[in-house]
Amino acid sequence: MAVADRSGAGMFQKVGHNAVTPSLKLNKGNDQHSIAVLGTWQVRYVRKLAKEIRKVRLPDPKKSSPVLEIDMANLAALDTAGAMLILDMKALFSSRGFTVKIINEREADRILFELISRHPRGNIADQKKSSMVLNLVRDVGALFVNMLRDIVELTSLIGQVTVSIVGLIFRPWRIKITPLIHHVEHAGLKAVAIIALICFLIGAVIMQQSVEQLRAYSAEYFSIDMLGILALREVGVLLTSIMIAGRSGAAFTAEIGSMKMREEIDAMRTLGIDPVETLIVPRVMALIIAVPLLTFIGDMMCLAGGALVSYQMLDMDFQSFLERLKDGVDIRHFYVGLIKTPFVAVIIGLVGTLEGMRVEGSAESLGHHVRASVVKAIFLVIIIDGMFAMALTAMGI
Amino acid sequence: MVAQRTSQATPLIEVSHLRKSFGSQVIFDDLNLDVYEGEVLGIVGKSGGGKSVLLRCLTGLEQIAGGDINFFGENIAKMSKKQHRHLEARSGILFQDGALFSALTVLQNIQVPMREHISLPKNIMDELAYLKLSLVGLPSNAAHKLPSELSGGMRKRAGLARALALDPKIVFLDEPTAGLDPIGAHDFDMLINDLQRTLGLTVFMVTHDLDSIFAICDRVAVLADCHIVRTGTPTQLQNDPGHPWIKAYFCGARARAAQQYEE
Repeated sequence: MAVADRSGAGMFQKVGHNAVTPSLKLNKGNDQHSIAVLGTWQVRYVRKLAKEIRKVRLPDPKKSSPVLEIDMANLAALDTAGAMLILDMKALFSSRGFTVKIINEREADRILFELISRHPRGNIADQKKSSMVLNLVRDVGALFVNMLRDIVELTSLIGQVTVSIVGLIFRPWRIKITPLIHHVEHAGLKAVAIIALICFLIGAVIMQQSVEQLRAYSAEYFSIDMLGILALREVGVLLTSIMIAGRSGAAFTAEIGSMKMREEIDAMRTLGIDPVETLIVPRVMALIIAVPLLTFIGDMMCLAGGALVSYQMLDMDFQSFLERLKDGVDIRHFYVGLIKTPFVAVIIGLVGTLEGMRVEGSAESLGHHVRASVVKAIFLVIIIDGMFAMALTAMGI
Repeated sequence: MVAQRTSQATPLIEVSHLRKSFGSQVIFDDLNLDVYEGEVLGIVGKSGGGKSVLLRCLTGLEQIAGGDINFFGENIAKMSKKQHRHLEARSGILFQDGALFSALTVLQNIQVPMREHISLPKNIMDELAYLKLSLVGLPSNAAHKLPSELSGGMRKRAGLARALALDPKIVFLDEPTAGLDPIGAHDFDMLINDLQRTLGLTVFMVTHDLDSIFAICDRVAVLADCHIVRTGTPTQLQNDPGHPWIKAYFCGARARAAQQYEE
């Protein structure tokens, strides 16, 4: 109530308009000094006022008068920030040896001063900054510990999911069909268009580049062999799984993470529902179904893109393109591509759901884990792909 | 005291003929309400009756379908951008669960309005933020914690500190005591009361809590049937309800207990 009494100026006061610009007026005297505080001492003007307070120069209290009065008679308005500043000013000059008195304050101001002096406002020393070298050592250590933790937790989750799935084989009526179909639709069906499009474009680009390069050796027709092997073995599965990692892996993390934030997962546990069986298994199974199918579509679209370019650049119609493909590319390349898909599906599903389970209270944590989920899933997909490539080539397949 | 205050005071907020609907569901129809300077106004009404929507309309978070909302005699629909910013700096809002920014520490949360609306030297900003923290009754070691590390009651206090960061003229509180235990709720009521008296705040409070109403509200406005059916002091409404819902609300067993406690 108190402060409002004095601030006659309305809400939309502007400086130099009807509000009084706040200021200090210093009067040096022989027997005492006084500082008159004028205008509206409000939070908006604190920067200017603090500067003015710093500029106040008073003679040495031992040589002239040690008495200083802060005169509030002509103050127009005061809020907590202004009052705090006046108290700070009082403390400042007291520490320099003056006897500081506040005069002509109103009842309301006294209440405000009392309120503020009751509460601590000194800076508590902020946490000390540690040295850069120490930070570096700590961060490197944390990185390795986290990697180790990732490996351990991922392995343990693989175990849990396997146990769960084996259990479901013996009790198939416990399989949750509705969520499974829901996830197949969202991770699979709804991704068809974008995966078809990017695979088509990449197929066309690969074809165009290889024709361009091989033409120098008059071997441009071999670019169809190259496209076929490349698309079926690597490109189709890689593009699909990277797309799924970005699309569905991130979605899994966000879904489970926000459930975790709202304690839904704890609620499930208390109701005797196993989060692994209810949340993780349907998602992983959905990807095991969706990724091979999407990869097949991706493979076909890659070849279609190549066919279009070969029609353009090599003057080959679709029929002869297919014949050339059949002669040059063995069916095993197609199988090699497809055999990898369940593995990448499991990895994407596990990483996405595991990161979701790790989300803690804040929105920042959710963002952090979604990012981690996509990065780790793509990284692991590429690692797995590399391992397959080495192993299968060594075996001569 | 209240009657005297409200008769002299100018309305800080005038709401006239407010209309609002979501699709075909009418929320407000011809709603009129005045909020006077320096009072604690409680808004009560049925669950889902639009109390929080009213608060969101007043703070500009919801578009209104018709009618006028005036702050200090200025229609908020016709304000310039600059006036809007000024208004935002002069009003503080406490959302139901504090709505603290989860990526910032409590101290940084309190400093957000200061950074946004005015420029302050770092040391003064820290000093001011610690002061507000202490004003709302939080220990200073809470300053560097993240909102997720605080209890519900502490989050509300921190939210109030953020709402008070710029010494607003008016604070809007959305169910300030919901979800607090009775002792915590009573403490929070007293805190609002103390701050209101010492800082001269105007408080617009949406609430369910009968204890709060009898403890700190100067006036109560009852929202029912899409408009404000009655306003008055809690005792006036209890003695002369005049509307079945008010009778059920103020003359139930819980209301009597709350009033006895206050007396």
